[in-house]
Amino acid sequence: MTPPPAMADAMSPLSRPRDSRANIDIMAPTKGAPWPYLLALGLAILGVVQGFLVLAYQAYVGLGVAGYQQPIFWGVYIITFVFWIGIGHAGTLISAILFLFRAKWRNAVNRLAEALTVFAVLTAGLFPVLHLGRLWKVYFLFPYPNQRALWVNFKSPLLWDVFAISTYASISIVFFYIGLIPDIAMARDRATGGKKIVYTILALGWQGTGPQWKAHSRSVLHLSGLATPLVLSVHSVVSWDFAMSIVPGWHATIFAPYFVAGAVFGGFAMVLNVLIPVRRIFRLERYLTDYHFENMSRFILFTSIICGYAYGVEYFIAWYSNVEFEQSSFWLRAFGPYWLSTWAMIVFNCVFPQLLWFKKLRTNLPFLFALCFFINLGMWFERYVIIITSLSREFITGSWGLYIISPVEIAVIVGSFCWFSMWFLLFLKAFPVIAIAEVKELIIHAKDHGGAH
Amino acid sequence: MATVVSIFELPSNTASAIRKLKDRGFDDLTTYSPAPFPEIEEAEDASPSKVRVFTLVGGLSGVTLGFLMQIWMSLEWPIKIAGKAFAAIPPFWIVGFELTILLGGFFTLFGLLIVGGLYPRKLDKHYSSRFSAEEFGVVVHCEERDVSEVEMLMRGESAKEVTVVDS
Repeated sequence: MTPPPAMADAMSPLSRPRDSRANIDIMAPTKGAPWPYLLALGLAILGVVQGFLVLAYQAYVGLGVAGYQQPIFWGVYIITFVFWIGIGHAGTLISAILFLFRAKWRNAVNRLAEALTVFAVLTAGLFPVLHLGRLWKVYFLFPYPNQRALWVNFKSPLLWDVFAISTYASISIVFFYIGLIPDIAMARDRATGGKKIVYTILALGWQGTGPQWKAHSRSVLHLSGLATPLVLSVHSVVSWDFAMSIVPGWHATIFAPYFVAGAVFGGFAMVLNVLIPVRRIFRLERYLTDYHFENMSRFILFTSIICGYAYGVEYFIAWYSNVEFEQSSFWLRAFGPYWLSTWAMIVFNCVFPQLLWFKKLRTNLPFLFALCFFINLGMWFERYVIIITSLSREFITGSWGLYIISPVEIAVIVGSFCWFSMWFLLFLKAFPVIAIAEVKELIIHAKDHGGAH
Repeated sequence: MATVVSIFELPSNTASAIRKLKDRGFDDLTTYSPAPFPEIEEAEDASPSKVRVFTLVGGLSGVTLGFLMQIWMSLEWPIKIAGKAFAAIPPFWIVGFELTILLGGFFTLFGLLIVGGLYPRKLDKHYSSRFSAEEFGVVVHCEERDVSEVEMLMRGESAKEVTVVDS
């Protein structure tokens, strides 16, 4: 396989300055802080502050201000929780699963995807806490010794979720950090002043010796082996929060694979939504080529088809089951008060992505950016449809209701996006957005083997 | 004792140089590489990494801890839920699995730190920022009488630079 143009260029001795070109290019975004960056960071922090203020108001007044009323007690917070957890899945898929499959193209995108995973999980983790209402009781979720000797219910999917999400957050952070160590050491070798001190501490004395690389490679391999079943389990466990109940529209065995495919689908869309502007703003075209976007587009197309199949199967099973509650639930999804969300979900997630069958569109970045924006919207609506339509029409007509998003919930959602953006913007200035050591592995390998890798 | 520091441009030359040094009995050597290259790792030390032991111990501890914790906590204050046994094994697999991964992952990290000798410390005397650019370093500690042999061997493997220090 011929290397992408960027690598062929970087391999040329004439074009290569004294330091590695990859080091210079990829570390460039960490230098300085131009006003558009500071403005974006300022707005993100402002959004976070307003989110916390609104949260304080909700904590003081009660969850009623968040639109929680009979019969809907799982609202936008749970929807957005599932949305953010899903976003993280692409990162783990790229960093762990594609690593095990030796898909070398992942080397250019895995760092950013892993960072998005960590920040998405940090964002998702907020929502179960917000959903509690009494935020200060959050420790009740964990098994802790108490004077009543009363432990948590290990037979509940909600408790499984606590363990799944905590493990996912921990392993994602460990994976992210281990991958960063060689690049932090590289940054340490070139930094001065306070930055050098911080990098020196974080690099843990990394020098790229044989035993260090050997231990590092094995650690990444083992963590990939652990993270692969983990990522499949996390969204499966999230799906069981619903599927283990008997609520019509939720009680389906297809939920686990359906949720996992949807998570990867939405996650890839978010990676592209972030990657495309980052590539343009920081001029990383040499490293993030059409080849990468085409591969990611194929993933999106593939997972979109799985989602479409899952949507179809849900309707088929509802009809085939001959259970009137299931049938009504799905009829109401398409033609009830929330029909707009359902059709938005179907069009954004199943119809629009079919355009990716065209090769030209798979590498058309403005098109991909717009498509991924709609996919993200569609994935949020997917969770909205699953949660709200089912809860608003349960078995007894007396407990039917209509759900309307409250301003408090909108403010908290905005705050969550700002929280995610804030971490991402801080990451941009602290660490390289592309795994430099892994890119250099490809560049040097190509140089050593006459352009083939 | 003398130290010979050689700089290489390609991993294949570096690996070949390491193999030849080892064949001649020069075992006291350190290599520096900007990226992972299996050929260099194998030339230096072909034995499997001990990190795998940490991962295994972590995973086994996790699954054991996961099940024991759930069984003990369920029996300490027995509450009948959904007609299941107090210590019902099938639903415990979920938390058991998650703790397997969690401890397996943490132990892998500890393994990396211990086996790789990673902690904030002073860097080696002969380490250079060139090794975090795109060059490879091989540092050989040998007797004074062997310096010329090592130097010739390195140059024979297309070393870009060979420097003798501490002589």
